[in-house]
Amino acid sequence: MRAWLATLGVVAQMAFRNLFASRLKTIIVGGIIFFGGLLVVAGNSLLDSLVASMSRSVIGSVAGHIQVYNAKSKDTLEVMGRMMMGDPDLSQLDDFAKVRASLLQVENVKSVVPMGISGALVTSGNTIDLALEKLRNAVKARRDAKTDAQRAEAETRVASEKGHVRQIVSVLQGDLKNAKAVLDERTIDPADVAAVNRAASDAFWQDFDKEPFEALEFLENRIASQAADADLLFLNYIGTDFQAFQKSFDRMKIVEGTMVPAGKRGFLFAKHVYEEQLKLKAARRLDQIKEGTENEGETIATDPDLKRMVRENVSQVREILLQLDAAKTVDFRAKLQRELPSQETDVGKLLAAFFQTDDQNFRGRYDFFYKELAPSLELYRVRIGDVLTIKAFTRSGYVQSVNVPVYGTFEFQGLEKSTLAGALNLMDMVSFRELYGFMSGEKLAEIQALQKAAGAREVSRENAEAELFGSKAEETEQPPIARTEPGSAGRSPSRGGAGTLSGSPRRIEATTTPGVAPVMHDLGESLGGKLQREEARSRVFPSDEVERGVVLNAAVILKNPKKIKETIVAIEAQGKKDGLTLKAIDWQAAAGLIGQFVNVIRIVLYVAILIIFLIALVIINNALVMATLERVKEIGTLRAIGAQRRFILAMLVVESIVVGFIFGGLGAGLGVLLVSVVGKIGIPAKSDVWFFFFSGPRLYPFIGTSNIIAAFAIVLLVSAFSSFYPAWIAMRVTPRQAMQEEE
Amino acid sequence: MKAIVSVREAVKNYTLGNVVVPALRGVTLDVVEGDFLAIAGPSGSGKTTLLNLIGCVDTPTSGSVEVAGKDTRQLSERELTDLRLHTIGFIFQSFNLVSVLTVFQNIELPLLLQRKLTGPERAQRVSALLERVGLREYGTHRPSELSGGQRQRVAIARALVTRPQLVLADEPTANLDSVTGAHILDLMRELNRTEKTTFIFSTHDQSVMAHANAVVRLADGKLVDRVTPAQAAAETGLPA
Repeated sequence: MRAWLATLGVVAQMAFRNLFASRLKTIIVGGIIFFGGLLVVAGNSLLDSLVASMSRSVIGSVAGHIQVYNAKSKDTLEVMGRMMMGDPDLSQLDDFAKVRASLLQVENVKSVVPMGISGALVTSGNTIDLALEKLRNAVKARRDAKTDAQRAEAETRVASEKGHVRQIVSVLQGDLKNAKAVLDERTIDPADVAAVNRAASDAFWQDFDKEPFEALEFLENRIASQAADADLLFLNYIGTDFQAFQKSFDRMKIVEGTMVPAGKRGFLFAKHVYEEQLKLKAARRLDQIKEGTENEGETIATDPDLKRMVRENVSQVREILLQLDAAKTVDFRAKLQRELPSQETDVGKLLAAFFQTDDQNFRGRYDFFYKELAPSLELYRVRIGDVLTIKAFTRSGYVQSVNVPVYGTFEFQGLEKSTLAGALNLMDMVSFRELYGFMSGEKLAEIQALQKAAGAREVSRENAEAELFGSKAEETEQPPIARTEPGSAGRSPSRGGAGTLSGSPRRIEATTTPGVAPVMHDLGESLGGKLQREEARSRVFPSDEVERGVVLNAAVILKNPKKIKETIVAIEAQGKKDGLTLKAIDWQAAAGLIGQFVNVIRIVLYVAILIIFLIALVIINNALVMATLERVKEIGTLRAIGAQRRFILAMLVVESIVVGFIFGGLGAGLGVLLVSVVGKIGIPAKSDVWFFFFSGPRLYPFIGTSNIIAAFAIVLLVSAFSSFYPAWIAMRVTPRQAMQEEE
Repeated sequence: MKAIVSVREAVKNYTLGNVVVPALRGVTLDVVEGDFLAIAGPSGSGKTTLLNLIGCVDTPTSGSVEVAGKDTRQLSERELTDLRLHTIGFIFQSFNLVSVLTVFQNIELPLLLQRKLTGPERAQRVSALLERVGLREYGTHRPSELSGGQRQRVAIARALVTRPQLVLADEPTANLDSVTGAHILDLMRELNRTEKTTFIFSTHDQSVMAHANAVVRLADGKLVDRVTPAQAAAETGLPA
């Protein structure tokens, strides 16, 4: 044994000395292995850190450690990175309470959050619609006034609102003039031009008070349709139990407003969505310019994005102009003339000049905007406290609308800037179920009440045709429009309801398709919409209804997050035992494309490593073959004096392994050093996507022991592989070759 | 006296492509223990081939070679290696020391391959041999730091360290000047006398043959005769 060790000692010694003797070969081979070791350790550590931080983002924002859904679903569940194209086809989980009870049986499960994810197109209120609604309310108040004081107050309001509408009309007139300049005359409907010109004329406004409702109807039908400043926006939302959500996803914090109280209908905007999509665009752009210049070190002069935003602010003042009534117009004119300073009287031109900012005046203009101008503007199209009407296609294809009060906005700590983490808004489970087409107890009762009121009755499928199109057909075709208030026929947003006084919560229409909106709107209204809106605020659902209802999926938070795989198995087994068809997937699968992203990077890294090591294999092999050929005589001598082939093999393999260990070790060591230095400083997130992947503004990479082990394993494997061929050559050297003289 | 090497009608053919090149055409030779034998002949006469067969580095195409009582044709590659390790010592024309090892380590190497002796035993034996070949001071030197004669002394020490029954030397003085060559042969002869080691060496040099106690002459792969060095020297007709 000792002699064997001594032999190994000689082998090692010869190996070491050979390495020194042929330094160039050693440096080439070692250099490649060094680089490989470095890449494996640094690359894998970075990637692992990325996965870890991304998992924190995904797990901490929506997904939880595991997502559970119905195994019978046609599509797979994706809670993140969904495209705009519809919802995945998921089968429902009928009774959440049962699902939760089953899940909580599994030892590692800490908590379960009910969920359903869907989306709807939402149209926010059109400025002119809102102005006309205010004017209509003022006119009505004047008509219904009982005392002189009331009448005088209403008269002032009418005058003010008239001023605002006239202001909007004059903006529209300007738009048409501009359109004529750039567009083919034929594309502009002369009737539109005539209508705007009429609405802008003094005669029209002098006659307004004679037939105010008629005039209003003209404005609503002919003018409002031309002022298309309402944007469609797509809101993705998660229906959930707010309390369970907040408890399980503790990075969630309320930014504005309050949490939705337990058992109430409610909607929380993701702060990011609220800022990005609902804020006045000019204000949003100012925020972004400020962010760019102050936090990202860019300048308006050099950064094309910031330049573009300044340009857009200059050219798109219309959005603000439409909000200005007579009094605000005067106010803005005076303030802007003073601030700029300028003698210009056109507020539009003044605003354009105001927004023409550069790196010197930006900060002053920004402050002035928020201090002097913003208080008179609606900065957000939906305010906290408003009731949002969301209309969505249910799974069975009909349109369902639900009124939900907006309680506030929220964000996830560390993910404030991430678009991905900030793309999902929150909605109460009851409203979600209704929008998705599930019947809540309340809804069933409402339908029954309506059926009773309308005299409708259950019709069996066989008799449906006869019943519907037979002699009794008229009864069911009662036009719903008949129930609307007098004078409110025509355009949809003119109804009274919750928003009768200015400053009180407005209604915002949300529908899946704009074309369907007006029709469905009235239908919704006639189907007890008013009742719904009042109910939206006050009604408290029993927790039983929230709990026992249908959900689409559930997020599971684990006690020990390292045991995801085992827990998935346990959950599915437990589901089977409890008669539930549960499918459990880990957060990465639930994150959909985003989860795949990491796999893609990993594949790219592995392919890079593979290529590098393949090249290394060839180069090392080549170098070793050369070295072996140079040593034929020495090897022959060793064989002649009695060394067996295995001794030669051992010598060469030890050489390779020594090189592998030393240089691979150095490379891995540098990798560790690099990663730990970078781990102290952190890698800054360049864009909002990276905020999500980094789970914050910086990624702090860490070293995983498995990476170091992997680095060594790969290095040894490559060393071993690359010495096969040279070893084979060496083993074929005969002792006779020791005798041959090079002559 | 017992024959340590017994060659019977040994034929060795090498193939170069399709051509069969006969290197030995039936050689019969006995070498007894304690012999100090020179194999002489011009280049291409088959000296090295015969030495290779005797040294178990090669086996004959036909005929037989017995070394220390073993028929080399019956042995496997591994057994031949073992036979070389334990029975034969080699001295090469160009010394063939392992350049990355010290003088001491070069000499120790066969002992390590043998795995018979402990460290101290090895050290003792190597030191004794270093002393014997007059290189006591040079144990830690590298071969590249030594002169040609010194290197060949190291090679001799390496060949003798396992106390082999037989030492083969292929033109051991060919790369040395005549004075150094003579010293090396004196050393070999002395070791032959004191250790009773059998030496077989090839040469084409008359003055080298003079050291042997017998000279076997080869020509064209055939044994011409076996003479004394004096006879060999006297026959001037032999090719130089």
